[in-house]
Amino acid sequence: MPTKVKEIMNVKLETIKPDATVFDAIEKLVDKRIRSIVVLPKDEKDVYGVITVRDIVFKVISKNLDPNKIKIEEIASKPIISIDKETELEHLIKLMEKFNIARVFVHEGREIIGVVSLLDVLSATLIDRARRY
Amino acid sequence: MFDKLISGGKLEKRVIKDIQTHIRILCSALECFRHSLSTENRQETSCVADLEREADSVRREIISTIHQGAFLPFIRPNICRFIEMVDEAFDTLEDAAFEFRYLKDDIYKIIKNECEHIAKINSAMCEILSIAFDTLLEKGDLKEKNLAIRIYEKQVDDLKFEIVDKLRHLEITNFWDGKIISDFVEYITKISDLIEDASDYLYIIEISLK
Repeated sequence: MPTKVKEIMNVKLETIKPDATVFDAIEKLVDKRIRSIVVLPKDEKDVYGVITVRDIVFKVISKNLDPNKIKIEEIASKPIISIDKETELEHLIKLMEKFNIARVFVHEGREIIGVVSLLDVLSATLIDRARRY
Repeated sequence: MFDKLISGGKLEKRVIKDIQTHIRILCSALECFRHSLSTENRQETSCVADLEREADSVRREIISTIHQGAFLPFIRPNICRFIEMVDEAFDTLEDAAFEFRYLKDDIYKIIKNECEHIAKINSAMCEILSIAFDTLLEKGDLKEKNLAIRIYEKQVDDLKFEIVDKLRHLEITNFWDGKIISDFVEYITKISDLIEDASDYLYIIEISLK
């Protein structure tokens, strides 16, 4: 049976409110040693977003802006690119290659429930190969 | 791979069959433990002790057959070490099952997801160890099996950190509650270490046969 995204995704997601400051996000990124944080929707009509180390470096630090004065919603990318948890690994790899992205968020209905990185894909593929006798 | 050592020897064939049984019993015990963790059925963990007794008699049989002269002397220590590693994983699993019986519900609930995940990984690692042993007999390459086991071990390490991180915020007021949860986490996360060590010994055996 083909491996599905839900079997290999990382369910430990860090989230942040859109009205928090970029400095709050930096603290989370450094403390948790992660590269991206999910930005929660502002209200029911809003959608999920994402803020990455890349966004912070290129949109705030390199422009000499004060991270304490910039709000997450000002620099976050929206909407988030996500796939259904039932998506097969093969399809995920094609998607990552097509869009040249290193991690993809996973949704169930309207909820973001996990994230899959290239390293997760690599590990899953190697384990799958090892299982084959 | 073993062909040049076995040369049709009955003793060697018996040892190989017993080692396969030994690993399979460990896999069954890990699967049973995983099930009892997810259903939170403490009584069900008794299957681990039952299977451990069964595995112990198989292990004694293996050691005794090796002492009767199975395999060339240079390969015997590594085979014995491999069997001891599998046995140690069994003992650690039995300790984890024992502690689980006395673990407080409210404490376990905090780390249940991580523990279930670890138990699932331990079970999958054992499956790959079993495949790796068969691969060794079939002259296959153990590198990929060994790497898969190492990937799994790293995942258990990460989960251990998450558990410790959660438990650090918990106030423990009773000495035994603290000791039981600490020992339980130690044992459940040590099983993967031992399976990884066993896999390393298989790899050493493969190299020594080349």
